[in-house]
Amino acid sequence: MIENLPILVVLAMVVFAVTIPFWKKLSFRFTLILGGIVLVSALVANVAIWNHVQANGEILFRFGGHLPFLGIEFKIDAFASMFSLFVATLSLLIYLYSSGDKTEGIEQPEFFRFYVLFFLMLFSMYGILFSNDIFNTYVFIEILSLTSCAIVSIKRKKEAYAAAFRYVMLNEIGSLSFLLGIAFLYMSTGRLNIDLLRDALHTGTIQANVWMAVAFFTAGLGLKAAVFPFHIWLPDAYASAPTTSSAMLSSIVSKMYLVILIKVYAKVFGFDLLKGSALSTLLLVLASLGMILGSVYALAQKDLKRMLGYSSVSQIGYVLLGIAFFSEAGLRSAFFHMISHGLTKAALFLAVGIVIYLKQSRSVKGFEGTGFQMPIAMSVFAVAAFSMIGIPLTSGFIAKWNLGIAAETASQFGFLVLIVVSSFLNAMYFLPILFTAFFKDPADGPQRAKPEKIPAPMLVSIGALAVMILLLGIFPDWLMTMIDVVLAGF
Amino acid sequence: MNLLTRILEQINLIGGVALFLIGLHTVVTHSNLIKKIMGLNIMGTGVFLFFVAIGNVEGGVPPILVDGNPLYINPVPSALILTGIVVSVSVTVYSLSLVVRIFQSYGTIDAAELAKKRSEVSEHD
Repeated sequence: MIENLPILVVLAMVVFAVTIPFWKKLSFRFTLILGGIVLVSALVANVAIWNHVQANGEILFRFGGHLPFLGIEFKIDAFASMFSLFVATLSLLIYLYSSGDKTEGIEQPEFFRFYVLFFLMLFSMYGILFSNDIFNTYVFIEILSLTSCAIVSIKRKKEAYAAAFRYVMLNEIGSLSFLLGIAFLYMSTGRLNIDLLRDALHTGTIQANVWMAVAFFTAGLGLKAAVFPFHIWLPDAYASAPTTSSAMLSSIVSKMYLVILIKVYAKVFGFDLLKGSALSTLLLVLASLGMILGSVYALAQKDLKRMLGYSSVSQIGYVLLGIAFFSEAGLRSAFFHMISHGLTKAALFLAVGIVIYLKQSRSVKGFEGTGFQMPIAMSVFAVAAFSMIGIPLTSGFIAKWNLGIAAETASQFGFLVLIVVSSFLNAMYFLPILFTAFFKDPADGPQRAKPEKIPAPMLVSIGALAVMILLLGIFPDWLMTMIDVVLAGF
Repeated sequence: MNLLTRILEQINLIGGVALFLIGLHTVVTHSNLIKKIMGLNIMGTGVFLFFVAIGNVEGGVPPILVDGNPLYINPVPSALILTGIVVSVSVTVYSLSLVVRIFQSYGTIDAAELAKKRSEVSEHD
């Protein structure tokens, strides 16, 4: 039974997505509750899958019973299972938030379309995680990039259209590069299944084609994950999207592309092939540029959501730094940082979303006195900002600590300095906001500084995120053991 | 001569990569949004041609079961590219619909003018 759960999870998402228009005819509230049930059961199923994978090893599922060289294969190992658990948890919390928010900026008739896109997005992400076939991964990537562009443009605002257009163009260049990478790989090996590809690449000599494939995979996935010089689409897209969409995009979708990057590097090519190559140097340079310049750009922003977008660029730099060492310690830090950043960025975007919901303002100035008007939202914002800076007792600290260990084991001590400098820069743009929120009176006089009413689901959602950030910061061991299980499978 | 024959043998692959680059150049440099979409399609076609060319076997016949034991060409890349074409169509439709919306709200489909109008709006705020 448990062997079939992954397929059921993927199917549940797509079936629910396409039936939303029918459910909506009954009642919108009913649809929301049904969607919640689907997501909760997906979370439960993912916990069961994780336990099963840990006890009995990976789950293999061959569609139509074809042999792997011909058919499509789902393979759920500890790596896929850990990240599907991450996706299930975060998507449930963001969904909960969206049910309380009037999904900022989306008009009433578009609500159900938003949820159709939301579930299609989840469908493609589970597909990416579970699929063990590189072309199948490409198809899921395309579904993901189309839905993520559509979820930006769903807001009937001019800026959203222009941002979505730029997003779709660059995303598509990324997808086509990925496809060309697959073509080069297929040309030299004649395989599409990831396990068979790995075997084929590790016997026989490495042709020039394989390096072309590495280059195209790196460029394509780098574009889609907004690795530093390719980040130009990101701030616009995140800033003009509705709150819940930005939270989805920054916390889950951008991580998916990094997951694929890790999958390609570690499972298809293998670290021993890439370790000595110039790729490692290139990625290290891009990662360090992203870490510093992403934060520098963020300092210059007045619009809070754009600022968070640029801060995402710098955080993706951290993850890439972890990947670029091509070592176990590096991967450990990359995994931890991805999960920690997913929680933190979701909390930040959703907390800012509450301010926008109440104040209709998104400039840093609009935060004056918000600390007293919406104490819970701003406390969550504070916790998440501390985690971003890397203050102890939050998950961000552990993530940066692990990254430091990875840099130290690779004896690249220069990166320790970079991590510290980048943390200072983070502090420089997050602390003034907290100062404005908690120590300044609102513009319309101090008498207005009393708590305001916020829908309960929104508060529960961001509260849970803050608690998780703190729990990960104080007891990181349970996640570290999970990551160790994953790393043992590589 | 040797180089020329080698180029002629691989002409499909070279053509595929050339189309990819032409398309990429169009997407990046042209400021007309429709031309950008066209560039994307050219890029896609380049990749598809490349993929199909990989599957070709010299002297092979189409992979339809016939008597005897002929040499078939590899059908897998062609089958994959069918999916690729479907994806490319949907991306084109989506981006064209975005261009319609952009034209309705900004009155232009030129990326440079669009950027100018957008910066004016943000200064006005």
